[in-house]
Amino acid sequence: MSLKSDYPSAADEQLVAWAKDGDTEAFEELIHRHRDKIYARAMIMMRNEVDAVDLSQEAWVKSWQRLHQFQGESSFATWMTRIVINLCLDQIRRQKRTRAESIEEMQEESGGVERHMPVAEANPTEGLESEEVRRRIDEAMGKLTDAHRTVLVLHEFEGLEYKEIAKRVGISIGTVMSRLFYARRRLASLLQSLKRERSE
Amino acid sequence: MKTTEFTLNLQAYVDGELDSSRRAEVERVLASDAEARQLVEGLRQLSDLVRSHEPVARVPESREFYWSQIQKRIAVAEATGNRESREVSGALQWLRWLAPALGVAAVAVLIALPTREASGVAQAGGSALEDAVSMTFRSDADGVTIHWIN
Repeated sequence: MSLKSDYPSAADEQLVAWAKDGDTEAFEELIHRHRDKIYARAMIMMRNEVDAVDLSQEAWVKSWQRLHQFQGESSFATWMTRIVINLCLDQIRRQKRTRAESIEEMQEESGGVERHMPVAEANPTEGLESEEVRRRIDEAMGKLTDAHRTVLVLHEFEGLEYKEIAKRVGISIGTVMSRLFYARRRLASLLQSLKRERSE
Repeated sequence: MKTTEFTLNLQAYVDGELDSSRRAEVERVLASDAEARQLVEGLRQLSDLVRSHEPVARVPESREFYWSQIQKRIAVAEATGNRESREVSGALQWLRWLAPALGVAAVAVLIALPTREASGVAQAGGSALEDAVSMTFRSDADGVTIHWIN
């Protein structure tokens, strides 16, 4: 068994091994290390602080219960991210069942993507500080529908292939492609308008 | 104006989702189509921009409070899980006693099945088991057959 002073300097793999033996302090150190990343992922998916806190905590509870299943095929952070993403997808599905589809989603289903071809414009974030770009992307993502944001997050941040996204979300590969395209087109357009708003 | 399929193919090209033959096909088009090249470049730039500027967020609670909330939820989950597992275990105990009885009943039904049946009338009679008595009731009107074994 470890000494408490070892926790901050121990590698994730070591902390996971200790936590598997029931060491809650090792588990708490893992939470401390990765909690912001897991929370951020929940936040970008849900766009709601209350849901993000709730789902990120639920993800940690699930990981404690399933720790014995983690065999180190990926990093612990990747494994945790997968858990929180799945919880967010479940929550979005539940919420979707209780509300009508947005106009945007209906438009997407009823029209071809060629109507939404990206406009060739100058880089909308040119000359901005990195933090400002990050903030604008976050703001623009908040204006996407759940359906579009989900495929964008799974593709760009989780690095998932189309077929894996289709499986996780429960849609066809064709729908993944059109949603991804629409999401990118919309994001580009939102970044442009944010740039115009700031310069006025 | 590009077709939907072609546009999505360009995106799949940018995302590294095409096999080698389709990739070569797209590259042939790109060599002579400035609009397609512009679209590919725009998609690539946007993807790079988003990936390199992933939004960040911090948990709006202290380390201690956040952990205490998780601890409570783990305790509740474990308590619920234990209760459920005890309930399942209790049900299995019953099944241990019930299973042989159900087996005997099933054998008795199989033995009783060949007994004579009369349409719409109840019959009582002996079966292959000397001490077992079976009764069959069949109603053609209702499409129902009932076997009763004593």
